[in-house]
Amino acid sequence: MPKITKQNIKSPIKPTWCAGCGNFGILRALYAALEELELNRADVVTSYGVGCCDNGADFSANYAIHGLHGRSVPPTIGVKLANHELKVISVSGDGGQYGEGLNHLMFAARGNHNITMLVHNNNRYSLTTGQASPTTPKGTKTKTTPEGLIEEPFNPLHTALSAHASFVARGYANDFKQLKEIIKSAITHRGFALVDILQACVTFNKDYDFKWYKDHVEHLSEDHDSSDWNQAIEVATKPAGKLFTGVYYQDEDRPAYHESLDVLNEKPLVKQWQAERDISPVIKHYA
Amino acid sequence: MSDKSQPSFNWKIAGEAGHGVMLASKLMAKAAKRHGMKSFNYLEYPSLIRGGHQTGQVYADFKNASCQHRELDLIVIYTQEGFKIHEDEMTAETVIIYNSDFGELEAEHTEKWGDQVVELPLSTWAKETAGTSLAANVVSLGASAYVLGMDLDIFKEMIADEFAARPKLIDKNKAALDKGYKGAEEKTDVLMEVNAQEDDMILLNGNEAVGMGAIAAGIQYYSAYPMTPATGLLHFMNEHKHEYPMVVKQVEDEIGAINEAIGASIAGVRAATGSSGGGFALMVEAVSFAGTAEVPLVILEAQRTGPASGVPTWTAQADLQFVLTAGHGDFPRVILTPGTVEEHFELGKKAFYLAEKYQLPVIILSDKYILESHQTMTTPDSVHENERQSMITDAKELPSDGSYLRYKDTENGITKRSIPGQEWGTHLANSYEHDEWGFATEEAEVINQAVEKRARKMEAIMEEIPQPQLLGPESADVTFVGWGSTVNVLMEAINQAPEGSVNAIHIPCMYPFPAEAFAKLAEKAKKLVMVEGNANAQAANWIRQQTCIEMDDTLLRYDGRPFYAEDLIEYATKK
Repeated sequence: MPKITKQNIKSPIKPTWCAGCGNFGILRALYAALEELELNRADVVTSYGVGCCDNGADFSANYAIHGLHGRSVPPTIGVKLANHELKVISVSGDGGQYGEGLNHLMFAARGNHNITMLVHNNNRYSLTTGQASPTTPKGTKTKTTPEGLIEEPFNPLHTALSAHASFVARGYANDFKQLKEIIKSAITHRGFALVDILQACVTFNKDYDFKWYKDHVEHLSEDHDSSDWNQAIEVATKPAGKLFTGVYYQDEDRPAYHESLDVLNEKPLVKQWQAERDISPVIKHYA
Repeated sequence: MSDKSQPSFNWKIAGEAGHGVMLASKLMAKAAKRHGMKSFNYLEYPSLIRGGHQTGQVYADFKNASCQHRELDLIVIYTQEGFKIHEDEMTAETVIIYNSDFGELEAEHTEKWGDQVVELPLSTWAKETAGTSLAANVVSLGASAYVLGMDLDIFKEMIADEFAARPKLIDKNKAALDKGYKGAEEKTDVLMEVNAQEDDMILLNGNEAVGMGAIAAGIQYYSAYPMTPATGLLHFMNEHKHEYPMVVKQVEDEIGAINEAIGASIAGVRAATGSSGGGFALMVEAVSFAGTAEVPLVILEAQRTGPASGVPTWTAQADLQFVLTAGHGDFPRVILTPGTVEEHFELGKKAFYLAEKYQLPVIILSDKYILESHQTMTTPDSVHENERQSMITDAKELPSDGSYLRYKDTENGITKRSIPGQEWGTHLANSYEHDEWGFATEEAEVINQAVEKRARKMEAIMEEIPQPQLLGPESADVTFVGWGSTVNVLMEAINQAPEGSVNAIHIPCMYPFPAEAFAKLAEKAKKLVMVEGNANAQAANWIRQQTCIEMDDTLLRYDGRPFYAEDLIEYATKK
């Protein structure tokens, strides 16, 4: 089977996203990253939740799981532990991931499971027609917050960092070159990687349009030291103003979860199937 | 019961949590087994770490011991409230060993029980021999061995095995056994004589049996969140995983547990999860996911008294109607309801075969009563062979023109599945309704085809599910009908009841329901009586729905306690 190319990774189904949706930019960067990494199409498993970005499950042709809303992460943990030779990617949106599925994100980070999370963050629940999401700014008026959103917006970078994530980055859907490089780094990173990808939603988030993002998104400074956790926290929690993109933090030394399991030292779990099971060690316990 | 040559006994120990009651009870059942007796150990304990009132009781018999009995031959009581609590279980013959270190006995007890009470300072003796009052439970085993006319050497060998990992404690505990035995000898008489015979059995509880079955089936991934009474299976898996290529994982919540297992299964390993009613409730959306994406998955649903948080450490059979329909939408599943510990092993193993062959969720629906009770079973075979089912084991089978379809419609509804990593086997395992590749669909024709393909699997499954069994004589005045753990009580009722008064039908698989086979057994019954642990007669209703057969009566209990054979016999023989 040939390596992934930007062409052969596409399924016969044309994307159904609105014209101008940030998802197109993200998918372009992802395909380019997969091609440049020279991965085999049989060796990449993508797990999706439910949302606009998750409909991407129909547009790509690798092994994939289109799971339940908010639950794209747990299947990736099971897949990776069953076969750690696979590259495992989780696709989700800010609604599913930072709301419904936040618990799973934090535990995946705590355990440093070697999965790459690409969270498509447009601060809306778009597929269900525009409700406020965990990252929607305070005061925003939506169908479910007609009086203006009362809650403070969730800060995914800070939460991931405090949950011991070993790779935390932010990208922007329309910055192709940077996003592609971030995704490549995230996939090749030794453990858990979170990439929070900012994007516009042309249909349900008129305030945060391309012009807004152009004015507010800036690359992390060249002096940013991504090995410094405290610095990462500082930049991640700066008061609202510029949104910095780049790799905030990376710990290259921490072993991935599966590297701490002796049973996986030589071979992946799936290659250790035993056609014969001898249960005498168990039996003698109860004799 | 008090006949000295009668080789059966009913023994109980009652104390607070923290007194080693549960261990002592398991060891008594094990000692009985090592004498060649069948035994059943039933535990009752509150949802507490210390204090409260905990009991363990062992019924042992050379021929049949499938469940707990009510009337006691011998009871060991630590705290005095035990006298009142177990009043109804003590007869004029019951020998009552009281741990006198727990204070002077109140007059009402000494007056009522007189010289049936044998006061022994078990804790003091424990400190003298083993160095800690915690060993009073072992001292009480020694005393009990004397009263029951059992072989103390067998107890000593068993203690040595029990403390094999901490050899320094072996001699101390043997000394505790000796002290208890000799101490009882000085104070009281022997009740009976148990002569050891050959022991070809093992003793384990339902959780351990399911776990052993899973290991025999080749399980490689178990993910779960702690919840009584399913936690025992999680602990079992962790205890034994180092012997096999397995990953066992405690997770953040039940939703994570089942979705991780689904991921592992998709990636090609045999995977399972387990919980109790409330935790299973959280898993239900994912059951629907496994059903529609055709992912092999085994789930233990360990019932406890509900609803909601319920009564955590007590039993029930009240989740049946929930589990029968669990998971929104139409999709096939199998619900196994094993009864004896041996059946938990057999069906624990078979569940993985069925799940993998038919690519669907298989739920093992059991309950605290049998999952946490120990029961003897004949030692099973050591070596178990398993073949991968409905799976592409050699990637060369996959055509390199990319034409492989994971969900291609077939005559029996099953399509061989590829696993990630296999070249040319790419597919999408989709929670949305999907076409043959796995892409989401909204087309009426494609939806119909997908729904019907999955439903078609049920035809073939019917041929492979465990069948209902008739127990006892061909004909009887009353035919008790039970599912799951109830069979343990039904078997004993048949043993103890007057000949011809009682027989029973046991149902080890509730979905798909074996209607024809059940009807064949039921049509011969003079009086059909459903026995189940819930308030709504859930199984009776389900059976009526599936067969149009109406029960003549129902015996229901929903107080967290199991059924007793004595009560069933009383019912069957009343005029």
